[in-house]
Amino acid sequence: MSIMRINVGPIHPSTHGVLRMVVDVDGDTIENVEPHIGFLHRGVEKLCETRMYMQNPSYFEKLDYISPMSWGDLYIGAVEQAVGIECKEAAQYARVVLIELQRIANHLLWIGTLCNDIGQLFTTFMWCFRDRAKVLKILEDVAGQRMFYVNMRVGGLNRPLPADFKDRTYELCDYLLTSVAEYEKVMDHNEIFKERLKGVGVLSSEDAIAYGVTGPVLRASGIEEDVRKSMPYYIYDKISFSLPFKSEGDCYARYRVRYEEIFQSIRIIRQVLDMMPEGDVVGQPIKLINPPAKPDTVVARRELPKGEGLIYMVPDKQKPYRLSIRAPGFVNLAVLPKLCKGEKFADLFAIFGSLDVIFGETDR
Amino acid sequence: MSEDLEMRAAPEEAAPAEMPYTPEQFMNAEQQMNALVENSLAKQGKEPVNALFTKLSEVSKSMSKGAIKWSRRNSLWPLQFGLACCAIELMDFGAARIDAERKGYLLFRATPRQCDVMIVAGWVTKSVVPRIKRLYEQMASPRYVLAFGECATCGGPWWESYNIVKGIDQVLPVDVYVAGCPPRPENLFAGLMKLQDKVGGKVAGDTERNISETFRRNENAGL
Repeated sequence: MSIMRINVGPIHPSTHGVLRMVVDVDGDTIENVEPHIGFLHRGVEKLCETRMYMQNPSYFEKLDYISPMSWGDLYIGAVEQAVGIECKEAAQYARVVLIELQRIANHLLWIGTLCNDIGQLFTTFMWCFRDRAKVLKILEDVAGQRMFYVNMRVGGLNRPLPADFKDRTYELCDYLLTSVAEYEKVMDHNEIFKERLKGVGVLSSEDAIAYGVTGPVLRASGIEEDVRKSMPYYIYDKISFSLPFKSEGDCYARYRVRYEEIFQSIRIIRQVLDMMPEGDVVGQPIKLINPPAKPDTVVARRELPKGEGLIYMVPDKQKPYRLSIRAPGFVNLAVLPKLCKGEKFADLFAIFGSLDVIFGETDR
Repeated sequence: MSEDLEMRAAPEEAAPAEMPYTPEQFMNAEQQMNALVENSLAKQGKEPVNALFTKLSEVSKSMSKGAIKWSRRNSLWPLQFGLACCAIELMDFGAARIDAERKGYLLFRATPRQCDVMIVAGWVTKSVVPRIKRLYEQMASPRYVLAFGECATCGGPWWESYNIVKGIDQVLPVDVYVAGCPPRPENLFAGLMKLQDKVGGKVAGDTERNISETFRRNENAGL
């Protein structure tokens, strides 16, 4: 058979943004996939070097617009290291609750869009968005805006938590436990859903390490690695939680890992709310931040919902001298040609969707 | 493709078929036919056919002006096309919390040929501009553009970036701007209702601008 070249995207409903893929197919079998990125490039790193430290969090939240709170937290972590200020204890607890809520919101959206991609149209999508809206409502009341919160400050948050924050979050956890458990009825009890994902796009653990993938994609390939466990930040070493991991490495394993992570996040949130001390969570006013306390370079790592995020920063007075971002989506996308080789063309978007790539952070 | 057509066309040109009648003969035949029909109708005491059709078309034209506006404003189908953050709010707009279908915004369509509204949701980079232009040109007229969010309106936070177009209105004629970063799904709903008013003629505005004029103006300006 001769090889045909198909151009997918850049504007396509299932590319989760703007991605162009050049696919070589032999009949219905994929020979090669070549992702072309850069359609959303706007030079974030360069823009950040021209602005003061506290003007930048907004840019970082727009890197991954499905989990902005996590990126904002990562950036503030880097600034805190540069300034040499520790986060207040009460604020550490609050931050853990917020970023875990954000992880739940991210995974809910991911499950909804994956189901759309593989043809299970709109039922799960509607359910996931219904539950995600409840999570976003709490985050909105904490931060003041619905999607881009920009509520992290050096040393804490930008304002006190709402009075009913604890009660409402407990309620939300109870609600999510029952409603997310319902998803299994339309997904895990659905033969077609399983057929579309099981054994598709298998990533071996050796390849996962060689390509440097992180997050749920790595844990679905049988490697138990998480920054929250291996290099605990905030109060993660005081909390008991397990890392869901699978050894199959296929799309179904990646779905299961993320699905179970929702329950682990609920477990974390409940523990943290139980242990949460009374106290001030408000950080330093913006004016007082005047680094550096002279570290040469700063490296901050966090476990973002999509994988490991890292910021390398060379601090200078008032603004960063050089700033570099390791985005999990960019690294995870690199494994796509490997996964797609030998699969059917219709599975392309199941595999691509299972990697959870977002192009704000991939193109930067 | 064009070669094939030429090949097929060639033999016809070589041996043109003889016309059985001249054009004048055709005209005469038509007049005779009309006269025949009118005579026969007049004998039965009915109006001639041509006059009947003229009257019908007059009535339908006067009625359809309102009807076409009404049906257009109540079935605006948006293009399923997201660029960046605002696309997430666009998805929320299509989800269960906001029942968009009650106002006639049906399911998002994946092909521009079935769409009336293009919602530009996200920042517009220079490499995406040709793609957006092509999508817009593929949409059937009348077509409307809604700039959703700060980035599509004016470049937003990326104003100083080297790769960003400062607003989609430099490329396409925009009908409605929705402010916010990102706007809430409710804001999009309000924006689309504004567009409905514009389409229905409640708000003054030129909704049938020609894309090529806008392009020419921008090209002259050196965009």
